[in-house]
Amino acid sequence: MPSQNDARAGWRPRHGTYWLIILPALAMLVFLYLVPLADVLVTSITDPKPGLDNYLLLFTSTSVQKTLLTTLRIAALTTFIALLLGYVVAYAMRAANSSQQRLMLFCVLLPFWISVLVRSFAWIALLSSRGPVNAGLMAWGLIDEPLPLVRNETGVLIGMVHVMLPYAVLTLYANMRGIDVRLVAAARSLGASRFQAFRMVFLPLTRPGLIGAGTLVFILSLGFYVTPALLGGGKVLMIAEYVAVQINDTLRWGLGTMLATTLMLSVLFALWALSRIIDVKRLFGA
Amino acid sequence: MSDVRDRQNDIERFVHNTEGRIYSRRVFFGMCAALGIAPAVARLTPAMADQKELVLVNWGGDAVRGMKASFVDPYLKKFPDRKVAIDGTGPSTSRIRLMVQSGKVTWDVMDRNLHTALEIGPEGMLEKIDYSIVDRSKVRPEHAVEWGIGNYIYAMVLTYNTKKWGSEVPASWKDVWDFKKFPGKRAFRREPDAVLEAALMADGVPFDKIYPIDMKRALDMHKKMKEHAIYYTVIADGQNAFRNGEVHLGQLLNTRAWPLKQDTKGLYDWTWNEGVSWGACWMVPKGAQGGKAIWDFIAMTQDPQAQAELLKSNGYGPVNPEAFKFLDADWNKVNPGAPENYSKMLQGGIEWYAKNATAARQQLIDALSS
Repeated sequence: MPSQNDARAGWRPRHGTYWLIILPALAMLVFLYLVPLADVLVTSITDPKPGLDNYLLLFTSTSVQKTLLTTLRIAALTTFIALLLGYVVAYAMRAANSSQQRLMLFCVLLPFWISVLVRSFAWIALLSSRGPVNAGLMAWGLIDEPLPLVRNETGVLIGMVHVMLPYAVLTLYANMRGIDVRLVAAARSLGASRFQAFRMVFLPLTRPGLIGAGTLVFILSLGFYVTPALLGGGKVLMIAEYVAVQINDTLRWGLGTMLATTLMLSVLFALWALSRIIDVKRLFGA
Repeated sequence: MSDVRDRQNDIERFVHNTEGRIYSRRVFFGMCAALGIAPAVARLTPAMADQKELVLVNWGGDAVRGMKASFVDPYLKKFPDRKVAIDGTGPSTSRIRLMVQSGKVTWDVMDRNLHTALEIGPEGMLEKIDYSIVDRSKVRPEHAVEWGIGNYIYAMVLTYNTKKWGSEVPASWKDVWDFKKFPGKRAFRREPDAVLEAALMADGVPFDKIYPIDMKRALDMHKKMKEHAIYYTVIADGQNAFRNGEVHLGQLLNTRAWPLKQDTKGLYDWTWNEGVSWGACWMVPKGAQGGKAIWDFIAMTQDPQAQAELLKSNGYGPVNPEAFKFLDADWNKVNPGAPENYSKMLQGGIEWYAKNATAARQQLIDALSS
């Protein structure tokens, strides 16, 4: 803090002062984030005994492998569906006028304000065998028996796509906004059909957006915990829940921290690979 | 001033709730300093500071009120100069280990179960029960072990919809595995205790042959079950799945099946037949500070009348077999400790779980996961 003398002497901020201002936040970050994180790393190679035994389980334990495969499969499916749906929405947003755009943006962002826990319970209520979705379909005579839409992998996918969709839409929309639409018009004037103009001009131009949105959604999907735990009916075990089981129930902290570390390293690696292809800073709005 | 007071309370609550698990006091002071809070304000004295105060740890919610009325109030009446604090944050195994290993034992009496007592007692985490003060003869022989004495009985029971299949209702686990006769969604807890036993009973294993559990046989039964069932991790979620009609039959804790029956005006009911009964127990962490007061308290909770009161407030089954005499016929219908109910159930295998719980849990989760 500047003293009274500084103020009278026409005090001007010097470079070091800025550091003082962020010091409390920095100290909090170190104590609350980096120190525990280091603890996780250390635990993964010391518990129950020093060595890389925990990491060996990645190659030897079918239980660990099955969980990793489930996680990868669900994350990949979520990414694919979210990109497909998000692309359509982003495309429509780009084509809409500005007041429509505002409304659409508002609708896309709306779910962000509701906690994932509440959304999961809402999906259970909507999709369960006696929920309005199944009741409606049965009332229309489209189905005779309620569809198993929740408490299984389908339910997990629906819940996760719902959470991930805004990320896909916003990233794709940011990318599409930067595309010069006159290029599409030019293609049309040179005799391309609507579909050809889209496929040969617009779609290739959205490639960075697709890669960026895909990576973002995939990375975030890998760490899902609440949604699969609630919507999966106890039968869809993803890595985050597996870690929680090891830490809380089976007390194999070494295994839990190893998986947490592996997850973190995979994410960092994916981000690094992404940074080779596109400007990550711009992707995250920096 | 009130602002400082609030902050102090927040800090104390934080330290109390985390029991110094997350950060040592030194680091915590550093955090206080970084936040601009004078550490001198933070009077970091957990409940243990008062040697005369007994700290009873249970699982919170209604259990705090129920145990206070049935156990703590009569104790304080007899020993007016003593104090008891009830901490409802739950004595989980990891918290007990951390507390005992850290050497700062602030708890005195913990509400847990007999198989955990047999699991962590030999590790040196628990004090041995002082049977010169606590009366072994007030419980059934299976409810008294070296490191734990039964405090109430709970059971995992077959719970079902009474109207879904006309006049038929499922009466055994064989019926629950009969997907043709009783179509509909099932619910089990995603924990091995009682879930594996139900599978074996459905496969025709008699009570006396259940333990040691044949894991493969039990898990094969659940592999057949899993497409028809949800496996809940949070008990309230399981109870709710019944209540909102998502699930029609399955396994539920008796203390949840009872309110479920009341809430739905009898649409759901349960049977004691082939239920699995477990002894909850008092355990004392190694190095507890309470001394003789601990055993005085535990001995008083053995009173059958006090236990009958706890059944009425919380549904916890009296572990003292005499307690049924203090309950009328209606109350004994919901009492897992009543002789006619208790005899229909399998006694949960505490020795088996003391050794195998961790491995069994992992194997069950692996078998259920897609």
